[in-house]
Amino acid sequence: MNKVIKNPLSLIGLVIILSILCLAIFAPIVSSNDPNEINVHSILLSPNFDHIMGTDALGRDVFTRMLYGARISLLVGFVSVGISTIIGIIFGAIAGFYRGLTDAFIMRFVDIMLSIPSFFLILAVIAFLTPSIWNIMIVIGVTSWMGVARLVRAEFLSLRSRDFVLAAQSSGATNFHIIIKHMLPNSLGPIIVSFVLGVASAVLVESGLSFLGLGVQAPTASWGNILTDGKEYIQFAWWLSLFPGLAILLTVLGYNLLGEGLRDTFDPNKT
Amino acid sequence: MLIYLLKRIMWMVPMLIGISLISFFIMHLAPGDITSNEAAFNPKASEESRQKLRELYNLDKPIAIQYGLWLKRIIKLDFGESFASHHRPVLWEKKDQNGNVVPGMIQKALPITLLINVITLLIIFLISILLGTTAAVFKNKIPDRLITFSVFLGFAIPGFWLALMLIYWLGVNEQILPISGLHSLDYENLSSIGKFIDLIKHLFLPVLTSCLSGLAGISLFVRNGMLEVLNKDFINTARAKGVNEKKVIYYHSLRNAILPLITIVGLSIPGLIGGSVIAESIFAIPGMGKLFYDAVLMRDFPVVMGILTIGSFLTLFGNLIADISYALADPRVRKGLM
Repeated sequence: MNKVIKNPLSLIGLVIILSILCLAIFAPIVSSNDPNEINVHSILLSPNFDHIMGTDALGRDVFTRMLYGARISLLVGFVSVGISTIIGIIFGAIAGFYRGLTDAFIMRFVDIMLSIPSFFLILAVIAFLTPSIWNIMIVIGVTSWMGVARLVRAEFLSLRSRDFVLAAQSSGATNFHIIIKHMLPNSLGPIIVSFVLGVASAVLVESGLSFLGLGVQAPTASWGNILTDGKEYIQFAWWLSLFPGLAILLTVLGYNLLGEGLRDTFDPNKT
Repeated sequence: MLIYLLKRIMWMVPMLIGISLISFFIMHLAPGDITSNEAAFNPKASEESRQKLRELYNLDKPIAIQYGLWLKRIIKLDFGESFASHHRPVLWEKKDQNGNVVPGMIQKALPITLLINVITLLIIFLISILLGTTAAVFKNKIPDRLITFSVFLGFAIPGFWLALMLIYWLGVNEQILPISGLHSLDYENLSSIGKFIDLIKHLFLPVLTSCLSGLAGISLFVRNGMLEVLNKDFINTARAKGVNEKKVIYYHSLRNAILPLITIVGLSIPGLIGGSVIAESIFAIPGMGKLFYDAVLMRDFPVVMGILTIGSFLTLFGNLIADISYALADPRVRKGLM
């Protein structure tokens, strides 16, 4: 942890992430407005003292919507990456531990999944289901576990023949026990890095989907659909498009900086 | 080399079957069958068109037979007809009852997307090789810091947001560039040079937007590759025998550092094709991405399935070409030493 804080870039990343997380968690305290309250007397106001990010076409306070949008965007990010990490660990661990045919079979499956353009895959699944926040999380999770699987497999392959694994095996530990108690904790570093970087890309994918109208559905605010609402008014209400974009940019930047910082910390060989 | 090639091509067969299985599986994700209203199928659709869909995918037969029949059609490259656009064939042109040729939807859309992606890839390469090399040569100095910072920014900027801002700034405010479509209204009346300039103007913003994330990733890749090569013994040797620094960098190092880029091209194809959905829908460019997006919105299942399958085939094919070029470019692989 000390090393992370000493690295200026990852410290910046951590500060960005924590500030946005706090704003999202304490949204009702930070802003007393209701994110979905329509007010015909305050339509498309530019940023001012009462509405620091202005109001939208329905008179809703954009700052408040951004705060609640942060909750949704981050929730989608964390849950979907959680799903993909768990799937990736399961496949990667099985492939790396059992090697041989099992490994070949799983890795070919990974190759096949990787050769389907992921955004097409996500959209195709959504075409056959209805877009909802839970479906989005599951779809992003199920279509982005391949990187984690490759990573965990590589770690497991190199750990497999280490002494402590052989020792555990010869003292009669079950395979499940060895995988969970001995090998997984030793490959946690790269998994954490890929989790942090994964959140960044999941936030981007979710905002892209919501922007296309296939993600989180109105009136629930997410950064992507605030931006979609805003694009109609871009000529006379720039604040509707500027702030959600900046929020996405900052969030992704934060997670990427932290992820890269962590990678350097866990991997002493890399400069 | 020949054996490598044969092996590599043989690999495509199980991959293709795998892709078809996954595509088929996705179609069956829908609750009930894809014609039911729970599956978000257009509730206004007539019983007749539902029946047609059931027949098309043989939904009344057991699932294994459905897959077999579907695969048989795919092998013959028969993707059926669109529901939404007046029975246009999904893949390739066909003659209708009156003998008129009806162009296929993918046939029309694919060249546009390929053109944009090829231009994008070329630009990404040129600029990222330049940026990556500069960053590596000035490691930890100001140019390197600047480039690394821009790389992080490039990763983080949502492409569609940048596109929106550029449309607002260059298209609406300054009115320098057109903001949608591929051609101007007076395109037919332009001279051939005029047509070319018109096309470039229309492609400028979409290409710029799609370059962005790829640019960041590949610059970083070139930088790290260059740093690795610059530490190698043969570079020290070259420097020690007095080869000038420019030649060391641009001749000895760069050649080795950019070789792995060929593989990266292969790997970046699915991302580029997938990314075209957002760029093409924003700029209203009638390519594969826009076609796919519209098909998803209209639940035009034959088109969705067709593009999903063709998009994956293209990726596989792109990877094949990348692997073959790598083998041809690297003498160690070419002569079977590796």
